[in-house]
Amino acid sequence: MWHAGGVSDEDRLTRAQARTIVGRVFKMAAPFRKTIYLAFGCVIVTTSTTLSAPVIVRHGIDAGIRAKNTDALNTSVVIYLIVVSLTYIFGRLLFVFVNKTGESFLRVLRLAVFKQMQRQSMAFYDRNKAGVLVARMTADIESMSELVQFGLLQFLSAALMLIFAVLVLLVLSWQLTIVAFLVMPILVLASIKFQRDSNKAYLIVRERVGANLSALQEGITTVRVIQAYAQEDEVNRKFQISNRSLFAAHEKSVRVSTWYFALIEFSGVFASALMIGIGGWFVHRGTVTLGTVVAFVLLLSSLFDPVQQLSQLYNTVQSAGAALNKLFSILDATPEVDEHHSAIDLPTTGELKVSNLCFTYAGADNPALNRVSISVGIGEKLALVGPTGAGKSTLAKLMARLYDPQTGTVEFGGVNLKMATMYSLRNRIVVVPQEGFLFNGSIRDNLRIARADATDTEIESAIAAIGATEHFAQFSDGLDTQVRERGSRLSAGERQLVALARAALVDPAVLILDEATSNLDPGTEAEVEHALERLMTGRTVIVVAHRLSTVQRADKIAVIADAQIAELGTHSELLALNGHYAQLANAWAQSHSITS
Amino acid sequence: MPLSETDSEVSARIEFEQSQRSEGWKLLRGLLRDQRRNLVVGGIIGITWASFKVAIPQITKFAINDGIEKNGPLLRWAVIIACLGVVTGVLSGLRRYVAFRESRWAETLLRERLFGHVLGLNIGYHDKAQTGQLMSRASSDLMQIQAFIVMIPITLSNVIQIFAVATILFITDPVLAIVAMLPLPFVNISARRFSNRIHPISVAVQAEQAQLANVVEETVSGVRVVKGFGAEQVQFKKLEKEANDIFGEAMKAAKIRSNFLPAIDVLPALGAVGVLGVGGHRVLSGQLSIGDLVAFNVYLTLLVWPLRNIGMIVALGQRAAAALVRIHEVLSTISDIKDPEVHQTFATATSSTTQLGAVKFDHVQFGYDPTQPVLTNFNLEILAGESIAIVGATGSGKSTVARLLLRFYDTNNGHVFIDGVDIRKIKLSELRQQIGVVFEDTVLFNDTVTNNISFAEPDAAQEDLERAAKLAGAHDFILQLPNGYDTIIGERGFSLSGGQRQRIAIARAIISDPRVLILDDATSAVDPSKEGEIRDAMRTVMSGRTTIVIAHRPGTIALAQRVVFIDDSTVAAIGKHEELVSTNVRYREVLANMEQSKTAKNIQAVK
Ligand SMILES: Nc1ncnc2c1ncn2[C@@H]1O[C@H](COP(=O)(O)OP(=O)(O)OP(=O)(O)O)[C@@H](O)[C@H]1O
Ligand SMILES: Nc1ncnc2c1ncn2[C@@H]1O[C@H](COP(=O)(O)OP(=O)(O)OP(=O)(O)O)[C@@H](O)[C@H]1O
Ligand SMILES: [Mg+2]
Ligand SMILES: [Mg+2]
Repeated sequence: MWHAGGVSDEDRLTRAQARTIVGRVFKMAAPFRKTIYLAFGCVIVTTSTTLSAPVIVRHGIDAGIRAKNTDALNTSVVIYLIVVSLTYIFGRLLFVFVNKTGESFLRVLRLAVFKQMQRQSMAFYDRNKAGVLVARMTADIESMSELVQFGLLQFLSAALMLIFAVLVLLVLSWQLTIVAFLVMPILVLASIKFQRDSNKAYLIVRERVGANLSALQEGITTVRVIQAYAQEDEVNRKFQISNRSLFAAHEKSVRVSTWYFALIEFSGVFASALMIGIGGWFVHRGTVTLGTVVAFVLLLSSLFDPVQQLSQLYNTVQSAGAALNKLFSILDATPEVDEHHSAIDLPTTGELKVSNLCFTYAGADNPALNRVSISVGIGEKLALVGPTGAGKSTLAKLMARLYDPQTGTVEFGGVNLKMATMYSLRNRIVVVPQEGFLFNGSIRDNLRIARADATDTEIESAIAAIGATEHFAQFSDGLDTQVRERGSRLSAGERQLVALARAALVDPAVLILDEATSNLDPGTEAEVEHALERLMTGRTVIVVAHRLSTVQRADKIAVIADAQIAELGTHSELLALNGHYAQLANAWAQSHSITS
Repeated sequence: MPLSETDSEVSARIEFEQSQRSEGWKLLRGLLRDQRRNLVVGGIIGITWASFKVAIPQITKFAINDGIEKNGPLLRWAVIIACLGVVTGVLSGLRRYVAFRESRWAETLLRERLFGHVLGLNIGYHDKAQTGQLMSRASSDLMQIQAFIVMIPITLSNVIQIFAVATILFITDPVLAIVAMLPLPFVNISARRFSNRIHPISVAVQAEQAQLANVVEETVSGVRVVKGFGAEQVQFKKLEKEANDIFGEAMKAAKIRSNFLPAIDVLPALGAVGVLGVGGHRVLSGQLSIGDLVAFNVYLTLLVWPLRNIGMIVALGQRAAAALVRIHEVLSTISDIKDPEVHQTFATATSSTTQLGAVKFDHVQFGYDPTQPVLTNFNLEILAGESIAIVGATGSGKSTVARLLLRFYDTNNGHVFIDGVDIRKIKLSELRQQIGVVFEDTVLFNDTVTNNISFAEPDAAQEDLERAAKLAGAHDFILQLPNGYDTIIGERGFSLSGGQRQRIAIARAIISDPRVLILDDATSAVDPSKEGEIRDAMRTVMSGRTTIVIAHRPGTIALAQRVVFIDDSTVAAIGKHEELVSTNVRYREVLANMEQSKTAKNIQAVK
């Protein structure tokens, strides 16, 4: 999409980093090593053939035309033709090799990074905002595709071209080579300054492009609020400011390149001027031949083009390096929650036992759970209740090993979850999270998130289980209705129904339900609860409850307050305690009564 | 596209596409009209630059012939060439600057126009539009257009350059000129064909990349669902498919590149071979000087880039045209919901004998898809200052009522009135300024708390802000945020709990003191233990203001003076909550009332 040039100082790689990155890229590209060598061979051939052209022309002029030797001229022409054909053939092969390697590499990289991201624990997702992770998988990888498609090739051939050109020039005449190099210091200094300035300018451009895109996206996704408050003009005004500052950044970056390109253009012509001035003097003194000067004038562009190309590519290479560095840091992050090397499958059933659990979120001052112990027997139902932020959802997440505790253990059937295979863990213990996230796709697709291999009949019975069959049958496309981004085609309650139906599709030994504070009408809600009750029979269930009716159906209630289990017992036992629970139950009752 | 089109259909389609294209070009012309002067200046600079560029080899030739071969004034020649270098350098820099500046400016203005237009389009349009697609209109499509505009001055100089060089070649030696230029048209043709072939594939690559981005975005945003159900493998499969698709398209692109680019590179060299062969023999036979032969070679290299560029600009132009058509399509979409031509205004509360904010739905019929009505024969009258609760089953159309009042959609039939004025006869901004709304899913902006609350009233004084926050029960927790009212919230800011977000949204809704307040499920994410607090806040907010509360919890319903029960896409009953509970079976079912009150009693009993 947008030009991704420019590297911030913190992204800039040290030499050592650069070396490790190159090393790792080679390691990752190992499967394609043969193609890479072939490509390298092709580059050498095409560069030499390209560069030999002026030499052949010179030979034709000096040995053929000047010497009035028709045969020599014809030979030169034939050789020239052969060389041109070779350039074509190997150039073509080169494209195939380079693109194939490059794209395969990007594909491998995409899969590897995504896989690694998926292995990470929830803590990783707490640390990294969604936008950043998406950028890694898209912009950062794409910023390399330019390099893969053209850059690498150009870089290699420009570098080789420069080396060869210098060699050829030296062979032709070392005196004139020095003349040709007289402008080099200006060029090199200018390139260095340009890189620095344009890098800065690009960084600003990149940052403002990002801000501009976010402003666009925010405007589009929040259009309902904007229109509801008739603030279109105000939002437009703000967007205009961001948009104009993007323009200013673009303008600045063009200005930076303006003088540089002017200078490059000038130095090319200036070098010919030098060549004619000083070279002509050499000719007069008999140091070099006229043909050599002519060849030099022609060859000058082979000298200047690569320098120009290399300095233009510098940014691309740098930013690809920086992108790779960020990607490798994801690949290197060891998942905090990972499968133990001698992990075993969990038993099919068993008691869930939490002992002495302590857990603090990274960066938090206070523990979210403090020495919590509780056990839930086979087929038992435990309700977790408590005020907002007490740690109910946290306990639920630890019971499914979405995080690892700092101290204490969670065991299922006597096996520490840390020693369980991930596959068996995710199969035995399923958490239905508080926020039911809908994916763009049909209602069916959204249920299949819970179980990919569910048949259509199973999906329909899951919908039936929560009593929503009739409701969705009203839609003209039924369960094939596309719910659109985040489920915007559905009403708030319908979205919740879809999310809940997922729970009816899985068949785990332990079901952990983080009950959503509800958008459902109480009638539907009651129906859903009955359905869930049916689901719960014969299963161990832990439910984070926000409703009295749910709590009453539990065998055991744990009141979580201040990161600890404050009370534990049955509904009536806890009411009798007249503590936290009694207060809570009272508040619930009031919310459902008319006389508040 | 249907498999078999009749001839008339085909010609109609082509005609339509052509008219679309010409509309696209018209858009571009209109866009560039204001920048005409600068573009002409850029063109002139380009032409001057091209003339110098062509002159330099000619002068170099003289310099070689006169200065070196004939022992002429070397230094003078060198200085002349160096001066020419200064001029071309400056000109080429300027040309670049003008071209980029103007193209960026055009892009900037068009983006603003596009954004403004999209923001004004009716919600029905936004329901169907995909964020990603609109984003790509405003980013990659605009980039195509910018890339085309930037080429305009360059193209001018290219054309001049080609003509000048061709003329010089023909004057020097027509036969050799033909030999040298024989392969060049092929460069142009290949370049154009290359661009045409590669374009659809680049579009496909981009589309695949966007799909991959979607998979990643959803996986990351929905990570709790993915992890909770252990759906990593499902998502990985989706991603693998997209990665493979990208790879497939990229390889197609590589194939096309390898078919064209090396050939384009090599074709001019064929001309050079011809020049050496034919030219050499002509020198030998005395028809041409060596200096001319050398100059010929130099000129040939001067032709390569301009020709390649022209091929490219033709293709770029086609791409830009396609982008322009897509943008034009958005810009020419007329909002279904627009200001009336002659508009009425609401009465103001000067001689406040009567209270304002009476709402009336009169025989309203509405469906998102008109064949599937969500509301039929919907009649409802709300007195000014009255508060009502809308109750109904999931998906019964409660939120839809709110959306109709905001005129997010127009009714299919029937009318909606506020204070006796049909809302279609009022300017949209005036209508919406009179309504404060809290949506069921709370959308906050990535901005400070202050800016979020004062959204409807950007110039609100700090006291007003705090008063609204206090009324909404948000002031206390706001003060506890890291930076108080200046804390950045929203998706990329400090994360608030659902209940906290809703309270900020309530403050936002009441700051402008609207005539009508709509609270759609505004307490659903609030913990019951905090609900009492919020309910007190709501009671204050609602007093003396027309309020529509959409709610499920009896406690909240009780805040309203009357309850409107929606069932079977119409108003099934109106009355006090207790009345409806005792008279309406469906109402009891929806509220599951029996069970609730029973449990409430149980608790009382235990205590
Ligand atoms: N990802 C996280 N990173 C840091 N802190 C967190 C995170 N999630 C929760 N917390 C904090 O940990 C504490 C416990 O949160 P938790 O989500 O477990 O509460 P809860 O009891 O489920 O509350 P609720 O009823 O509102 O869902 C809170 O103080 C919360 O702010
Ligand atoms: N943008 C839309 N396009 C098409 N159909 C829609 C759209 N929004 C809602 N619907 C459908 O219209 C009906 C009414 O939706 P609405 O959002 O008004 O329900 P609701 O009464 O607010 O429900 P809830 O209590 O679940 O919020 C539902 O069947 C829903 O699927
Ligand atoms: Mg929670
Ligand atoms: Mg709703």
